[in-house]
Amino acid sequence: MEKKLSEMNYEEEGRVGSIKQDLKNKVAGMGIRVGKNLKMITKHPLRGPIVVEVDGAHTSLALSIADRIIVEVKK
Amino acid sequence: MTLTADERWDLIEKISNKVVTFGKFKHTLKDALGELTVKPLTGIPIAITVLYGFWSVFSSFAGTLCTDGFFVKLFDGHFLPWIQSVFPGVGGWFYYIFVGDPAADNCFEAFGVLTSGLFVAIGVVLPAIFIFYLMMALLEDVGYMPRLAVLVDTIFHRIGLHGYAIVPSILALGCNVPAVTATRILETKKQRFIMMTLLAIFIPCGAQLGIMQEVIPESIGIVLLYLIFGYFIFGFILNKLVPGKSPEILIDVPPYQKPMWNNIARKLRMRLGGFLKTAVPFVLLGCVIVNILYLAGTIDWLAKTLTPLLTGWFGVPGETVGPLIAAFLRKDLAVAQLSTIEMSKYQMITSVVLVSIYFPCIATFVMLLKEGWKNLIGSFAVLVTVIFLYGGLINLIWSLLGVQ
Amino acid sequence: MKKILLMGNPNVGKSVFFNRLTGANVIESNYPGTTVDYTKGYMKGDSEDFEIIDVPGTFSLEAKDKAEEVAVKMLEEEKGALVICVIDASKIERGLYLCLEIIERGYSVVMALNMWDVAEDKNVQIDIEKLKNILNIPVVPTVAISGKGFKEVVLSIKKAASVGVKEIMERVGETK
Ligand SMILES: Nc1nc2c(ncn2[C@@H]2O[C@H](COP(=O)(O)OP(=O)(O)OP(=O)(O)O)[C@@H](O)[C@H]2O)c(=O)[nH]1
Ligand SMILES: [Mg+2]
Repeated sequence: MEKKLSEMNYEEEGRVGSIKQDLKNKVAGMGIRVGKNLKMITKHPLRGPIVVEVDGAHTSLALSIADRIIVEVKK
Repeated sequence: MTLTADERWDLIEKISNKVVTFGKFKHTLKDALGELTVKPLTGIPIAITVLYGFWSVFSSFAGTLCTDGFFVKLFDGHFLPWIQSVFPGVGGWFYYIFVGDPAADNCFEAFGVLTSGLFVAIGVVLPAIFIFYLMMALLEDVGYMPRLAVLVDTIFHRIGLHGYAIVPSILALGCNVPAVTATRILETKKQRFIMMTLLAIFIPCGAQLGIMQEVIPESIGIVLLYLIFGYFIFGFILNKLVPGKSPEILIDVPPYQKPMWNNIARKLRMRLGGFLKTAVPFVLLGCVIVNILYLAGTIDWLAKTLTPLLTGWFGVPGETVGPLIAAFLRKDLAVAQLSTIEMSKYQMITSVVLVSIYFPCIATFVMLLKEGWKNLIGSFAVLVTVIFLYGGLINLIWSLLGVQ
Repeated sequence: MKKILLMGNPNVGKSVFFNRLTGANVIESNYPGTTVDYTKGYMKGDSEDFEIIDVPGTFSLEAKDKAEEVAVKMLEEEKGALVICVIDASKIERGLYLCLEIIERGYSVVMALNMWDVAEDKNVQIDIEKLKNILNIPVVPTVAISGKGFKEVVLSIKKAASVGVKEIMERVGETK
């Protein structure tokens, strides 16, 4: 099932399906690229930032950035 | 030949496929702690505990243990009477500058270079920044800063910054000078401007915190609340007024790491060395200059001239002119001097806040200039506005509450 | 005097490298963005001395903040410098990105796969020999905080030469 990274739940895992073009390079530097597996570590309330795990490393990103990344969620 | 970004990532993918294998790994205690401290439900209480612990260790070590327990006894009990009696020329201007008041029975009131100057620098501020930098190095080295950044992101978002602004903010609590350069980690001009302006105006440095918890222990909480409120209120306004973009948080959260004591010791040595080499001479110089201005009658004249403004608008006595001049050089010295002026508790709070938000010390000023004079002019415009509005507002609050 | 730039992503251990190689004291901390300005220092080699420059961390050569700008400018100003590319071995891919960009611009590069201990903890395995062959530059696993691999890094400085990215692409294709 596909959803936005910002809509993933705690502990959910998925595979990056697509990233908005203008964002691609910015998040690539943090290890987030199409085809990478990631896991949601935490989401903060009040539209706060999220923390994801990619290749064993943690990255925090604003929800509005996560809105523009589509993830294929594993069932 | 150069590649496009996509081609380069493509190549990396290929290289990585051939040479790297990401195996399964066991989550250790470090990883579990890492997650607990970044999740809101557990992370926020932990952050509050950490910051509260930081403050209690700071004030009990610096204030109770070192200053009151040792330096006050040393300076007031032995050093002051000794130097008052052996220093030649009582009543002369030389004596006045270096020893100060021959009848003073404590080192705050004497206000000579060798009495108050040395006492403030060595007896009050040195232990304060020692313990401050020790704990800051610990937080830096274990890797807590990025987690704190994630936790505070939502609030900082409201003032046009993002969570990572906590890094220059915390550095500024040690000393504003390196914090000004650290604003370079923020992405846009707008963010750097807001950050520099806010930290120069509202964040008291370690030296100032040290002296405040010594001379106004019962009202430092209120002073800090005023500064924190000011930081966010004016941050909120600046965010609306300053043109430009405010990109959002995107940071790496590195794994925790055991503190390495040799690195912590080295950082402590460097930062304390810097304090002894640059700050102490300024404290002493500040004493000399202020004393000369007193002798020349300049301060009395200024106090008279500015009393309508100081008393009328801010509600503080005209004598606060002296400390306000000292504040150009060192804020710690200025607060020490304020403590010797006769005034009510509320006037004291207002004047300590004024000294804090008033012009940055000269070292910070030079640093701001290095980062660009256009920013500096902007920051100054904000600063002047803040002093009058916020200083006046605090006075108004006291009047409304019926306390003066 | 030959110049050496220490470049790499933020928080990979460049400043630890710098302090160890030159005996200087720049601040090392466990968060990205500790170093926001450059610092110069000197190192005695066997046959010649080097000037070493600690540079702020950056993800790429398109700077996204002022600290990164300092790094990119430094690289552009020091055209003849050799670059020690410090990489966090547990996050090798993003390190490779910057490293390739620097290689493409014609600089001679020595790659230090730092945080080798962290990579081992995370069970990230890297075939050094293969990587060396593909890139055709010296690649040395290091643990900066203990000094492991430093001798080899210094010895490799002599062997570093500029390589073409086209050849790298060809060699990847040939590698099994
Ligand atoms: N475990 C481990 N930690 C390391 C190693 N090298 C460096 N560190 C730690 O990594 C952190 C970052 O080191 P720095 O030298 O400050 O990193 P930097 O690359 O200069 O970072 P910026 O200045 O932010 O770009 C410090 O806490 C070091 O102690 C290593 O090989 N292994
Ligand atoms: Mg560094």
